[in-house]
Order: sequence, then C-alpha cells, then structure tokens
Amino acid sequence: MSCNWRDKVALYVDDELDPGAQKEFSAHLGGCLECAAAVSEQFELKKALRAAGRSFNAPADLHAALYRAIHPTRSVSPWWKWALAPLSVLLLGIIGFLLIPKSHPNPMLAALVDAHITSLASEHPVDVISEDRHTVKPWFQGKLPFTFNLPDLGDGPFKLIGGKVVYAGQNPGAELVYTVGPHKVSVFIFAAPGSSEKLVSSRNRSFNISRWKEGDLEYYLVTDASSEEAGKLVAMFTDANRS
Amino acid sequence: MNRLQNSDFEKLALPLLDPLYNFARWLCGDADEARDLVQETFLKALRGFSSFQEGTNLRAWMFRILRNTFLTSRTGLERRNTTQEDEKGVEESVVDHQTPEITLLRRADVEMVRKAIGQLAPPFQEVLLLVDVEDMKYQEVADTLNIPIGTVMSRLARARKQIREYLSESAGGKP
Repeated sequence: MSCNWRDKVALYVDDELDPGAQKEFSAHLGGCLECAAAVSEQFELKKALRAAGRSFNAPADLHAALYRAIHPTRSVSPWWKWALAPLSVLLLGIIGFLLIPKSHPNPMLAALVDAHITSLASEHPVDVISEDRHTVKPWFQGKLPFTFNLPDLGDGPFKLIGGKVVYAGQNPGAELVYTVGPHKVSVFIFAAPGSSEKLVSSRNRSFNISRWKEGDLEYYLVTDASSEEAGKLVAMFTDANRS
Repeated sequence: MNRLQNSDFEKLALPLLDPLYNFARWLCGDADEARDLVQETFLKALRGFSSFQEGTNLRAWMFRILRNTFLTSRTGLERRNTTQEDEKGVEESVVDHQTPEITLLRRADVEMVRKAIGQLAPPFQEVLLLVDVEDMKYQEVADTLNIPIGTVMSRLARARKQIREYLSESAGGKP
C-alpha cells in the first residue's frame, strides 16, 4: 500500500512545496520509511542528472567574441560590427574545431607555461615595473626587434604590473604581466613573419592558454584565471594591435 | 547611456554563457550549431536589452530567446516535427511512483546517465535539464517554455521515469 504523501515526493525534493507543507513533509519523513526511501532516491537521481547534464562549457573564443560584440570599438561602425561578429565566431569555430582535436603537445606552449610559472614564483616577476602602458612599451625599445601596442585597460578588472624580455626557442620576446583579481596573466609576444592566424584556446597543466597571430607578431596568453577573463584580455590586445 | 547598458548586460548576461551553451549543445547535439545559436541569442538579447524590464527574470528571458531561436532553426523544426507523437497520453501521469533504486543510481556512471538524458524526446529533455541541471523553479520553466505549470510537472515526471527505465535496462534489470 502506498503512503498518501508519496505524491509530494518530487515537489518536496524540487523545493516546490510552500514552507508550511515543506516542514510538515520533513516531519512525516521521520516516521515513514517508504517516503524517506523515495526522497533519498529522488535526491540521488537529481545529483546524478546534474553531474551528467552539465556536460559542455562555452569555448574561450566564444567568450572573446561576445565580449567584443558587447564592447564595439570606435573604429568599426555598428553595422559592420553586427555583420562581422557572427562571421568571426563561425570562423573561430571552424578553425578551433579543426585544430584543437588534432593539436599535439607544443614545446613552445610548454616553455611559456614554464615561464609564466617562473614569474608567479619570482619575487621580481618583471624588469620594468609600471602600471602605465606608456612607460612599459618604450622600455622594450632597442631590446626587441619589433614593437607592439598595449591595450588601454580603462576601469576594467585588469592591472598592468610590468614586463620583461624573455627567450623561447632562441628568439627574444616580450612578457607582459597583468593581474585580474587574485590571478596573474602573462602575455607573451614574439616576432613570427607570415600571415595572421585566428585564436586557438587550449589548456596545459590547468592553465588557460590562448594563442593567436596578428600581422608579423605571435601572441600567447597564459593564466589560471577563467577562460572568460582570458577572452576579455585577448579581445583588448587584438583591438589594440589591429593594423 | 548605451555604454552603461552594455556593461549592465555584460555583468548580468555573460555569467549565463556556460549554462546557455550547455543547454544549446543538448538541443542541437552539435558544437558548431550550438555556438551559432548562443551567439545569435546574445546578439538578440543585446539588441532587446533596452526594453528588458529590470526586476524580471533575465535567466528565463535569455533561455526563452535561445529556445525560440532554436525552434525556428532547421534542426529545431525537424526535431519538432518528429516529436509530436511522444506527448500523447502523458498529461495525466504527473506523479511517478517508481520503486526506489538507489543502488542502481549509484552504480550508473556519468556516461550512462548522459546517454539516458540524450535518449529523451526534446519536450521532456528540456524540462528535465532546466529543473535538474539549471535548478529552475517550475514557474520559471513554465515561463521559459511558455507552457502551463501542470505540463512542466507532467513532463518532468515522465522524463525522470524514462531515465530510471533506461538506467534499469542498461544495468540489465533490477539489482
């Protein structure tokens, strides 16, 4: 024989009973094994469904594309913005889809994650210490065979700490270190002649890594901050360096 | 003014990106299509954000835009045409009196439960995802899907029943 309260089990577990009934049902559970077992099973089912149902996270480049759509740059008219945004997302999607599953361990990425970890551990993570991009950028003059722009961070969550010269694969490059909340972000820039390449996101030892190429420069962003935050800084860098 | 509205939108809507993308992936069953669907949803929402009433439920609003956009897509129309039959005779089965099978649930791995969710017909799958994965209240689901709250409850009961049956069959019968 079934208990009259059995009809309320799902409502109780989904927290859909009014507070009085919820309390009454709780009291009932103490004396009814049948309902207690049903409630317990229903909670177990919900837990399993939540774990299995939350299967997919939005890719980092989608974060970046949406951030850019929300904050249109002044140089591009709104009409173009709307036309370009879905197109760029589609392109990023196709390239990401083609590249990510086939990507092999990349020694350059591993070296730059190491460099980022070294900066995290160092008491002197940078050689030029300044929050002012107009101080940091000229410091690299004469030290690197190329130049680049640093984005205007505005009132956003990012803060520039400074920069230094790094070497990877025997080539000199710039490392710019930022903070976002409690997290640090390293942006590495190297000379790499050739055509531009779209953004590719990956993970290495739990760090979020974004790599893209604009003109003759190749950019890498390494951080333990969320892919959403990473996407924002990527968008700012690409806007600042678009030719 | 526009700047301020955009930053409000960023603050309120961007945290919904992962849940919306997850829901879109289940609806479309394809990464590229889900990406386009989410992109279109955000652009539509951004355009309509100035008319959005402060204090109303942004999450339900965004999920509704996503789902309506999906329903008018090719995949959405195909999906809708093939699932009319599944709902017949369901409305009365609001309550699910299955025998509790905790052992079975504990034994089911994530992949098996994922397959169980995947085999649900879309009207049941979307209610289950919104309640059990997104933790929405029945009324919020009713608003999102534009269906009566009674239908939410009956579809949810039916969906959970089918999940149990699938898991039970996959495990080779009752323990």
